[in-house]
Amino acid sequence: MPTAIFSIGRSGLTASRASLELTAQNIANAGNANYSRRTLTQGELVLTGSIGINAADSLGGVRPGIIERSESSLVQRQARDASSALAAAETEFFALREAESAIETSGVFTGLVDFEAALTRLEGNPLEPALRLSAVESARTLAGNFGIANGALANTRSLVQGEASADVLSVNELAAELAAVNRDLVGAREGTAGRAALLDSRDRALRDLAQQFGILPTINANGTADVALAGSPPTALVTGGVAQSVSLSFAADGTLSFAVGGASFAPSGGAFAGRAAALEQLADLQTELDGLAATTISLANGAQASGVGSDGTPGQPLFGGSSAGDIAVVLASANGLATAPAGSPAGSRDTGNLASLLAALGGPTGPSAGVDALLLGLSSRVSALDTRRDGLGVVASSAESELLRQTGVDLDTEAANLVRLQQAFEANGRVIQVAVELFDTILGLG
Amino acid sequence: MPFVNSSAGTFFDRSLAQMANLREGIERARTQIATGNRIERGSDDPAAAAQLRAVTRREALSSVEGDNAARLGQDLLSATDELEAVGTLLQRARELAVQAANTPTGPQGREAIGFELRQLAEELFSRSNASGLTGEPLFAGLSSGTAFTRDAAGNVTYTGTAASGAVPVAPGTAIERGLPGNEVFQFDLNGTPSSGFAVLDTLAAILTGGGPNPEAAALAAIAGIDAALDTANRSQTILGTRLAWVEQVQSQQADRDIALAERRSRVGDTDIAEAIARLQQSLTALEASQAAFARVSELNLFRALG
Repeated sequence: MPTAIFSIGRSGLTASRASLELTAQNIANAGNANYSRRTLTQGELVLTGSIGINAADSLGGVRPGIIERSESSLVQRQARDASSALAAAETEFFALREAESAIETSGVFTGLVDFEAALTRLEGNPLEPALRLSAVESARTLAGNFGIANGALANTRSLVQGEASADVLSVNELAAELAAVNRDLVGAREGTAGRAALLDSRDRALRDLAQQFGILPTINANGTADVALAGSPPTALVTGGVAQSVSLSFAADGTLSFAVGGASFAPSGGAFAGRAAALEQLADLQTELDGLAATTISLANGAQASGVGSDGTPGQPLFGGSSAGDIAVVLASANGLATAPAGSPAGSRDTGNLASLLAALGGPTGPSAGVDALLLGLSSRVSALDTRRDGLGVVASSAESELLRQTGVDLDTEAANLVRLQQAFEANGRVIQVAVELFDTILGLG
Repeated sequence: MPFVNSSAGTFFDRSLAQMANLREGIERARTQIATGNRIERGSDDPAAAAQLRAVTRREALSSVEGDNAARLGQDLLSATDELEAVGTLLQRARELAVQAANTPTGPQGREAIGFELRQLAEELFSRSNASGLTGEPLFAGLSSGTAFTRDAAGNVTYTGTAASGAVPVAPGTAIERGLPGNEVFQFDLNGTPSSGFAVLDTLAAILTGGGPNPEAAALAAIAGIDAALDTANRSQTILGTRLAWVEQVQSQQADRDIALAERRSRVGDTDIAEAIARLQQSLTALEASQAAFARVSELNLFRALG
């Protein structure tokens, strides 16, 4: 029957046009990182009917099937885990590198060396007013540098905290979005373009969440994703259509703690784990810096107390305060620098007391050695984090390209498909033309 | 899918990342060349940065110690100059005492000698209170006041301290600032403490005051002047030795500064030749990969079909 040829040709035309549309969609989304390439399945259409014992098959052409979205949950998971680990290392690295710059460029070490140098110069001629004044001024510079280091460290801390406060909002939004996608997915019909788009949004939300927290997602049979945050204890964030909210709190020393839906929780991956680790290290740095300032204060004031100034009066404290934030020179006059040991008369050129202060400042437990050790420790840590970040970066980018390889759009393939489908479309058109000619032939018999 | 799919996104991502890496390397090499510093921040090379800090501290202290040594050298030089003048002065006093001890020198001659001796005693007193270039007394030990004072009766007493303190001129080396006046101008004469001032003043008083036996007194004073000369000469030797020590320390310091500068350069300076070679290499690689990127990105089926 020529009508069968018509309908076969028409079904072919429909199927190839639908495939062409999908190919065009793939090409259009080649630059969309969240897009997973789609293919259209096709099925043969055969109509079987029987009357009595005469069974007859009638060919029906092709039936466009469902839109298949290329998926690879394993590679997805690898990519997510790698990006979690990378984000953790990266945020910690950037925070600590800023702290390193803060302490290195604040000039605490240079200030200590200059102070030592000024005191050594004073040893050469302890009564010269200019040298005494320059020693006191270098002490003032040192105190100022401690203040700068303290301020820069506080600044680093508040930057990290600000970033955390901003990002926790986006985490909560992502969780809510994922819950909404889950609700929509339940109602979406299998094999439709709408469902594929929802799955794309689901994977995008999971990937963005993984940047911020290590996640333990469970993909259910209906395509919905339940997400728990990795950490101690692992805590559910999104269950079906319900999302918990994450909240942050900062302790007095700047360290970060988390709560999910009111229950406290410590993350083990993602940018937030990196931030929490960085803030803890920043708190340690602050303690160390304060300790160094306190050592400097107590050494200088202790030396002052055990000596006399150029006028023979007992030395008064050189520094006031007790930490890097409030260290300041309180000695009123440069004459009050206790260069001579206690009991020396006015105008003594004895530098015994100054020498013992210098020995204490430059000694292995003095603040110079302390700042050096602090900087060495910090820069070693930053350097190690940099190496780790590089390594994780390679892992993450290879996981990412593996994911793209599995789900991304290959323009060459699509171009080949275009040609193939175009030819299929033309061929189907030709089939209809043949059917028309057949019909005309039959009509012309009369 | 069974066939190998190389996503267009992967190609672009990878190419961009590689080119960004190259550009970062170029930027770094350029900064190293421009600043001359191999280490931009401590974490570039923590151990080298720690060494650089140690070198910086040593350099700062070394320059101050160098200044201290130079100043100490000047003080010691001033002190030896004074002592040389003191030696000449005592030599002249001795000649005068010998003359006075000679009988042919009459009472008037002795009186004239007495006047000259009094002047010499004055000069000796002022030289003992001389100060260095910085205005600090040379022979007062740790005290900043005058070294010797003369009371109403004309007796000279030492008011400085017995120690003169040391100045650090190199790591672990401190050199005594000078000699306290009591070691330079005071001595034991036949078991009794005496001084150049006492010897000269006593003789001058006897010669000008017309004492009973001026020849004998002059003869007796020669021993005192000899002792004063001995003490002054000994002090001059000590100061000369210290001066030589300071000079030696200074030359060592110069050597050490060079060593420090070499170390700083080795640890922290950019090896310009190497950096330029590296820069050139990275530039070539970047150009090549940009060209390759342009070529490869044109290789798609669309272009072939079009």
